[in-house]
Amino acid sequence: MYPVTKDFLGKPAPPGYVAGLGRGATGFTTRSDIGPARESASTTSNSKAEDQGERFKDAENEEGLFSGLPYSADDEEADQVWTQIDAKMAQRRNGKRKDESMAKSDQPAIEEHLRGAKRQLQTLTADEWASIPDVAQLAETAARAKRRRIAADPRRGNNPGERMVQVPDSAMVGVLTGGGMDESISASVDDGAATDLRALGQARDAVLRMKLDEAGQATSLKSTDAAGYLTSLSSEAALGIGDLARARKLLKSVTLASPTHAAGWIAAARLEEAAKKPAQARAIIDEACERCPRSEDVWLEAARLHPKGAAARSVLSRAVRALPQAVRVWVAAADAETSDTGRRRVLRRALEHVPGSVALWKAAVGAEPDAADARVLLAHAVETVPHSVDLWLALARLEPYATAQRVLNRARRAVPTSADVWIAAARLEEQCGSGDVALILRKAAASLRANGAEPTRDAWLALAQQAAADGLPATCRAIVAASSDAGFDADDTAADRAAAYAAEAARLAASCYEAARALYALAAEAAPGSVDVWMQAAALERAAHGPASARVAEVLERAVQRLPQAEALWLQLADAAPGADWGRGVLERAFAANPQSEAIVLAAVALEAGAGQSARAVALLERAVQAGGSARVWLKAAALHRRLGNAKAALDAARSGREKFPASSHKLWLLEAQLQGDAAAARQTLAQALAAAPRLSPELWLAAAALDARASVPRARAVLERARVHIPRSPALWLAAVRLEASESVPAARALLARALQECPRAGCLWAESVLMAERPQRKAASVDALKNAGAQDPLVCAVVARLFAAERRPDKARAWFGRATAADPDCGDAWAWWLRFESSLDEDGKKERVEKLEAACEKAAPRHGQVWPTVAKSPDSDGLSTTRILHLVAEALAQTRQLT
Amino acid sequence: MSYFLPHLTNGWQVDMAILSEEERVVVMRFGTDWDDQCMVMDETLSKVAEKVKNFAVIYVVDITKVPDFNHMYELYDPCTVMFFFRNKHILIDLGTGNNNKIDWPIEDNQELIDLIETVYVGAKKGRGLVISPKDYSTKYKY
Repeated sequence: MYPVTKDFLGKPAPPGYVAGLGRGATGFTTRSDIGPARESASTTSNSKAEDQGERFKDAENEEGLFSGLPYSADDEEADQVWTQIDAKMAQRRNGKRKDESMAKSDQPAIEEHLRGAKRQLQTLTADEWASIPDVAQLAETAARAKRRRIAADPRRGNNPGERMVQVPDSAMVGVLTGGGMDESISASVDDGAATDLRALGQARDAVLRMKLDEAGQATSLKSTDAAGYLTSLSSEAALGIGDLARARKLLKSVTLASPTHAAGWIAAARLEEAAKKPAQARAIIDEACERCPRSEDVWLEAARLHPKGAAARSVLSRAVRALPQAVRVWVAAADAETSDTGRRRVLRRALEHVPGSVALWKAAVGAEPDAADARVLLAHAVETVPHSVDLWLALARLEPYATAQRVLNRARRAVPTSADVWIAAARLEEQCGSGDVALILRKAAASLRANGAEPTRDAWLALAQQAAADGLPATCRAIVAASSDAGFDADDTAADRAAAYAAEAARLAASCYEAARALYALAAEAAPGSVDVWMQAAALERAAHGPASARVAEVLERAVQRLPQAEALWLQLADAAPGADWGRGVLERAFAANPQSEAIVLAAVALEAGAGQSARAVALLERAVQAGGSARVWLKAAALHRRLGNAKAALDAARSGREKFPASSHKLWLLEAQLQGDAAAARQTLAQALAAAPRLSPELWLAAAALDARASVPRARAVLERARVHIPRSPALWLAAVRLEASESVPAARALLARALQECPRAGCLWAESVLMAERPQRKAASVDALKNAGAQDPLVCAVVARLFAAERRPDKARAWFGRATAADPDCGDAWAWWLRFESSLDEDGKKERVEKLEAACEKAAPRHGQVWPTVAKSPDSDGLSTTRILHLVAEALAQTRQLT
Repeated sequence: MSYFLPHLTNGWQVDMAILSEEERVVVMRFGTDWDDQCMVMDETLSKVAEKVKNFAVIYVVDITKVPDFNHMYELYDPCTVMFFFRNKHILIDLGTGNNNKIDWPIEDNQELIDLIETVYVGAKKGRGLVISPKDYSTKYKY
């Protein structure tokens, strides 16, 4: 079939070739369990499938067993019977299904029945709606009445309606033995097989505590001291020479093989030293000195290994004779001298041999005790080594002003690429002279650029920071000004530059005030139209000099001259100095520059109202209202009238304001509702508001629900449900609903809270409520959940955890968590108030100081938000009160909320 | 060391190698080049190849590339050596119970030369089964 050939290596097989077939190869079976059956090559490939099919056939299978038998008349009859049964069953199932569907179509849904009644509801007026009696209330009262009847019934023992509960045997036994019922789990469980519940509980407590601590410390950085760790490692490695004899032998062979290799000798000597054999180490290193006298390292090692004093000195004297050019050896020799004169002598000799070494010159100058001698030496040094900037600067520092100037000029010529020389010149001028520092640095930048050695921006800024740290503000400013072009191309726009300057200034603001100030000045120059830059500059001044300083006013004054249209800058300027007169003057100028600006008018109104000039404030507002202001103007007008006790005017202002802007500000609606004395009118107003703009704000819905809750809980519930339809995923609405339920029944409230948490899984207020509503044993677990889901940065959750600790009488932990809560969001007033409550409830030493410290911190943070804080702070009673006073009021008001027991 | 030995890369080449040799024993090593047992065996084979070239020729087959004989010759071991003479599979009584093939690496060169020589002498005389010069039953091996 296929010809036999000897030329087969590397050739492809003929197409369709079956291996082994051509030569009639046969297989074999060594072991029946692993090997294949004996078969010919031709059948191997195609017989596999059917082979396996037969192998896996079930011997019990009827089909297989009887498939060979003939199909008789009996079989046919049996098959017919079976088909009939199948058909009958299918028919029966079909009939059942049809009945079900018929029944469904016959009975329409309840909604269908009620559709007509629902349509009639459209015509219902608000009054009719309000007068509908509450079904739940009726039902409840009926149930209660029935219970009361039963209680009054003298035959109540025979009453079949009463539910009876069997008394457990233990209670019977307890009563028989004369004691009460034992409900507690005894602390000592004698039975070893019984589960120790107390221990389990304690373990769970410990785990929870650990988790809480972990969540608290997640922010603090964990680090190891890298340097210390490495040192300890290397010392261990040095001592851990495992096999001394082996190491010795190895190093011996190294030194024998290449006796001029210094490293081998040094290693051998160090090994002996590590093995505490100093004499041998010295012998080895002495030999090394003879064998390789040209190696500095060997000599230095020899000097180190020999005892300090005469021995080391003699080694080093031999060393300098062998290596007169080695600077390190000379320095070591100088260090080995005990007396100053000796050192000086050695260094002079060294400089004779190596006049070009800066290190040696520095050592020599350092060894001179007298400034005059040092100066002479340095004068020599700068002539011999003119490129060393350090030597020039040292010389300039020792010279008086006039000579120093000359020295620095020479230095500049000698080293035209060094920025340090220029900066030293500027420093000299700032400290002693009257020259223009800025001019010097301008020249410096030009000269350095010409020599191609201009420092990068970072280098310039580092130099500026250094100058500021040395107490040279003028130099620092001049350096920043000189660096204005560094790192920018010609195609960088002014705005790019200004942004870069501002970013650098923000980075340096904390560390280097002068440099940041100079950078803001540069940024303002580059982009005079940017309000942000001016604001940041003012913020920097404010942080450095306090909120009402002349510097802040100066910066803002320059800003408003450049940007008279920027309202924010005018407003900041009006706040930059105390006193109503200043503010009035500024705002007048601002108004002259921006006659249409509402913000300025409102600021003026606030100023006048704060200064007690209510007539002027009202007049200003009238003007603004007449000019056709926005909703904010109307709101302010209404608020001002209310504050002045002018309820009617306030109501008018609010009403006309919201008529003008029905869908832009919910505050006008709320104000109107609040100003209306009776509940019915307020409810009507709110209903109008909700009809006009149901999605405006949850606040409107909350106010409506609060109004209704006083009269009827179910109605408030309905309001809140409608609110959730209009504004889904609002934690405030859910929280209000949960609290409403909690006033009725706590389990229902818990169920609602679970739904709320599913809809708003990250809402801190809801999680805090969930901790408060949990049963006492579940509280800790609930708090861990809350921290995990709302994040450890939520002030309300942190405050609740703190209260948990406070309830456990662990003031330190509680204080730490209160601190975390207030740090997470200093604007949340509730956390501060809870903290104050906690501190005032404690009765320990230093209570007064702690409360005072807390008040000061709160005053500084000036919180404005929270759950209870705004209601207290914005009520007309607390008008004009200080933050501390409000803090105390809020702390009192918190007694009305849910407490941990 | 397998790169000193000729590789057969398909079933046809294996058949041709066995069929085309008239006067010499064909020694086939089935296995994979990267296997460590095969490496040992290949080392020995490559060393003796020159010495036995007058009466034997040695080939190497990668059983992953040429799977055609895996079923037929039960090639389950990492390293298998089989002998053929004039298209006849020569069996050797090695004392292991499996006369069909050598399925362990041989490290000693002379041992392998002796084996191949025994196969050659027996086959030349027309025997289908030869007796190995050394008994490889486990009691000697361990």
